[in-house]
Amino acid sequence: MAPNAYSRGRSLVAVLRLSVLTFLADPQWLIPSLIAPVVFGLVAYELFSGAGPFFVLYAILGAGMMSMWGQTLYGSGWATGADRHLGTLEPTLSSPTPYLYVVGGRVIWNTVAGLFGGAIVFAVVAVTYGRPIPLSDPLDFVLMFLFVIVTLASVGVVFAAAYVYTRYAGFIQNVGEFAFYVGTGCMFPVVLLPFWTNPISLVLPPTWALDALRYLAIPGYQGFSWGFWWDIIGAVGTTLVYLVIAGTVFKSVERHVLEVGDLNDW
Amino acid sequence: MNAIFAPRTSLGFMRLDFVLGTVFIIPFTQMVFFAFVAGLSGGAAAVSFVVVGNAVATVTYSSIFSVCQTTDSEKEAGTMEHLLVSPANRFALYFGRGVVPILASLATVTVGLVYAVTIFHVPFNAAESPAIAVSIVLTAVAMVGFGLLLGGVALYLRTSIILGNIFLFIGLLLSGVNFPLSSLPLPLQYLGDVFPLTWGLAAVRASLAGAPLGTLLGLWLNVAVGAVASLALAMLLWKTFERRALATGSIARF
Repeated sequence: MAPNAYSRGRSLVAVLRLSVLTFLADPQWLIPSLIAPVVFGLVAYELFSGAGPFFVLYAILGAGMMSMWGQTLYGSGWATGADRHLGTLEPTLSSPTPYLYVVGGRVIWNTVAGLFGGAIVFAVVAVTYGRPIPLSDPLDFVLMFLFVIVTLASVGVVFAAAYVYTRYAGFIQNVGEFAFYVGTGCMFPVVLLPFWTNPISLVLPPTWALDALRYLAIPGYQGFSWGFWWDIIGAVGTTLVYLVIAGTVFKSVERHVLEVGDLNDW
Repeated sequence: MNAIFAPRTSLGFMRLDFVLGTVFIIPFTQMVFFAFVAGLSGGAAAVSFVVVGNAVATVTYSSIFSVCQTTDSEKEAGTMEHLLVSPANRFALYFGRGVVPILASLATVTVGLVYAVTIFHVPFNAAESPAIAVSIVLTAVAMVGFGLLLGGVALYLRTSIILGNIFLFIGLLLSGVNFPLSSLPLPLQYLGDVFPLTWGLAAVRASLAGAPLGTLLGLWLNVAVGAVASLALAMLLWKTFERRALATGSIARF
């Protein structure tokens, strides 16, 4: 097939459309990824109650991030697993469209769905709080929240790529869930963790983005000593690295499948 | 005997990676997470409370989520119809699904409490070990009974995932895992009292604190009642839906 006989953009849009339709056909699947964050948010809210007005932001940010993790990272990570489960991995990989664009469409939708989840969790904790959330600059807060989900999506894409090579995707995601929450400091500053763990945390883009988000939203917040802007630079840098890694792994996957043709085994 | 152990059903989802993750990794990471959250807002006492609570609460992974999902697994594998027409004793068939999860639950809570004592320095008196052991065993049995009850409900549902997710985590809020039940509004306290985890956790906490036997007996009785009631309701549901399945031939569809 000639290189111009297919459109990567059209493929991306088609996958995005299919993802939306699949979601609309059975939107209850948003619920499992919401239950844990809502519960964790309310637990954190109760634990933080009486610790000062800005602690409610820890609960909201943490629970919102968990919800986005649930939808974005699980959904994106499972993007490959679903193909394998349905037996469509090899046909999809052997199609002319690079697999990255297929996964890309799913990731974009999961990111949007993750935002729905984050908004719902925000609303639940805010209603429980019963007072206005102490946000000095709501617009900047929303923009940073969007940025956090992009960093989460970058981790999701890498997971999606890596999961082609393992049958333990579900195991890694389930077992790694709390480790990820701890590692990224989603409900407490990462600087509270032992110092030797900080380099591990900094490998994850959401760690930087969440620290920046707290600098923005919580007056007097004490996170990484380098402050807000270096957090942003770190988040952008690590996110780009993750996207490059994902692209490289996907290319290698496509080459691998052409050579051995056995990726459907699981 | 085959029905009781139902190896394929019990062990199908109990792969080694699942067991290792559920027993050794999840309790540790969950305890660390909530310990840091509690530490940010409270003191060492809050951390101790949260750590013990989560050590016991991780039992829900093997007792509720896994057991609840066995119904889905049967439907997905297409074996539900065969199960429904088999002559096997229904109690053995149903309770058999809980045997391996009870063992996994025992291991999960035990490992969690070992983490609590060794890593988080929760006070522990070896003399209380028998009482703690009784509390753990009763909690594991009661929680698996509750999981079987949910599995019975899931028999009627299209999928058990949502049900499993709800009860996997709701205990963290309503069972006194991370803060005393008395912090909750009264209706939620009553709701919390319905869950076996609430009483099981109270029994473990009381055992660790060296509570008198009279107090422990009361708590153990509550856990045992919860276990028996869950199993009885599970059997009732199973029979009801089985009758419905035979009448309509549609219950086993996934």
